[in-house]
Amino acid sequence: MSAGLAAEPAGARVEAVGLSRAFGEHLALDALDLVIERGETFGLLGANGAGKTTFIRLLTGYLLPTAGRVSIDGISPATNPRAVHARIGFAAERPKLYPDLRVRQGLRLAAGLRGLTGAARDAAVASVLARFTIEDHAERLIGHLSKGYQQRVSLAQAFLDEPPLLIVDEPTSGLDPLQRAEVREQLAGLRGQRTLLLCTHDLHEARQLCSRVAVLHQGRLVAVGDAETVLGGEDPLALFRGAPA
Amino acid sequence: MSGPRGQQARAAVLAPLWALMRKEATVLFASPIAYFVLTMVALITSISFFEHLRLYNHQLFLFASSSMGGFESDTIPDYINLRDTVFLPVMEQLGLLILLPIPLVTMRVFAEERSLGTDELLLASRLSPGQIVLAKFAVTYGFILLMMTISFIYPASAVLSGGLGLQHLAAVYLGLVMLAIGIASIGLVCSAFTGSQIIAAVSTVGVTFILYDFHWTFEFVSEGTAGVLDAISMHPHFGRFSEGLVGFANVSYFVTLAVISGALVRFSLDLRRVGG
Repeated sequence: MSAGLAAEPAGARVEAVGLSRAFGEHLALDALDLVIERGETFGLLGANGAGKTTFIRLLTGYLLPTAGRVSIDGISPATNPRAVHARIGFAAERPKLYPDLRVRQGLRLAAGLRGLTGAARDAAVASVLARFTIEDHAERLIGHLSKGYQQRVSLAQAFLDEPPLLIVDEPTSGLDPLQRAEVREQLAGLRGQRTLLLCTHDLHEARQLCSRVAVLHQGRLVAVGDAETVLGGEDPLALFRGAPA
Repeated sequence: MSGPRGQQARAAVLAPLWALMRKEATVLFASPIAYFVLTMVALITSISFFEHLRLYNHQLFLFASSSMGGFESDTIPDYINLRDTVFLPVMEQLGLLILLPIPLVTMRVFAEERSLGTDELLLASRLSPGQIVLAKFAVTYGFILLMMTISFIYPASAVLSGGLGLQHLAAVYLGLVMLAIGIASIGLVCSAFTGSQIIAAVSTVGVTFILYDFHWTFEFVSEGTAGVLDAISMHPHFGRFSEGLVGFANVSYFVTLAVISGALVRFSLDLRRVGG
């Protein structure tokens, strides 16, 4: 590489322009304008029902926007979902796992669904089993695992083909303090290697993990900026009630 | 497309499809329902078959041992034969009885994904909604074929040894398979529109029951309407196969039912993106 050119940061770029989504009369997301740069660890904050999960579902293409657009590296999930799915890994708040499968089976399935086959699939599964320290549980049924371990399997599943954009929704919700610390440690280890979008209502978690954050209230963006600036005020919880930063 | 790139492109399309089909089969056979259904079908068929065979033997015995002179005197009437006394009644009964186990198989296929939230995982994978539908339909139809093969062992053995003819056997078997696939298709649609497996199973039985035979309505409706109702009923199309006739119209009926069902399930997946 020539000395004059800076290396492009790893990860994917996310852009939402006037993004809205309504469910009947209820506007879950209201004209959201947001840019997440490559390589950022970005926190999307807000109380329950603020519109965080709706935003994620619009990003993954599971939902279609009512108005506006969202894109990942310039590609719209509404018109080209496959190209978008090749760029994202997604770990949901409530792990989306098959309880009747063993951990290794579940990961092999997820790898297969992401187009990995043969040796590449086996290597990817072995890699995430080691990375998320679930090797000892590889032959256990997913339905028999504790919530903490299910969350790890969910993260491992999202990370299988090391996607440029990793979306993690409320990763520590419902976990005990020890499990919470473990999951946060796992997420901290992923920073800088790719774009990480972390949805949470835990301010401590956001300050600990994210470089920038945005706060949503009833579908509207009330604040966006450096985590310390946005959340370092006297009453950061006021943002959750919709007070502007 | 050929060469390594072509192979890679094919693998990228086929790998997720195979992965989902493997998962469907694994989850199906990980639950006791699959074994329960297979056992139930084998049991029902054998009971039905041996009961009809017992009646057939009883009738033969009555005629043979009566004062009319036994087997050699041509006194056994034509209507007492394996085809009419055993084979066809068993097939007719099976046509109705498979209405019970099939919803148990189809109820979880889409409804379980929705209740577990794993439909979101599938829709965020490399699979298109059409491929999801294809994989799930293929595995369900495969299981239905296995189920029908098991149900056919006794009747087939009787027919082959009774000299009914392979052609007739194949026609009746095809009819039964087509009927089972038709019911399974309805079951898959019902499963796609709900997150409750119980609602999926009950609605499958209800819809199939309504669609099975409209004959009873004929005295209340005009001739034209009766013709339309007859054309959309399952039983008349299945009945033709029982007579040993494999008509294009009857095969088309069940194939169309499967295609419409696939389209409806695909629509239900799209509906979720719009409706949430």
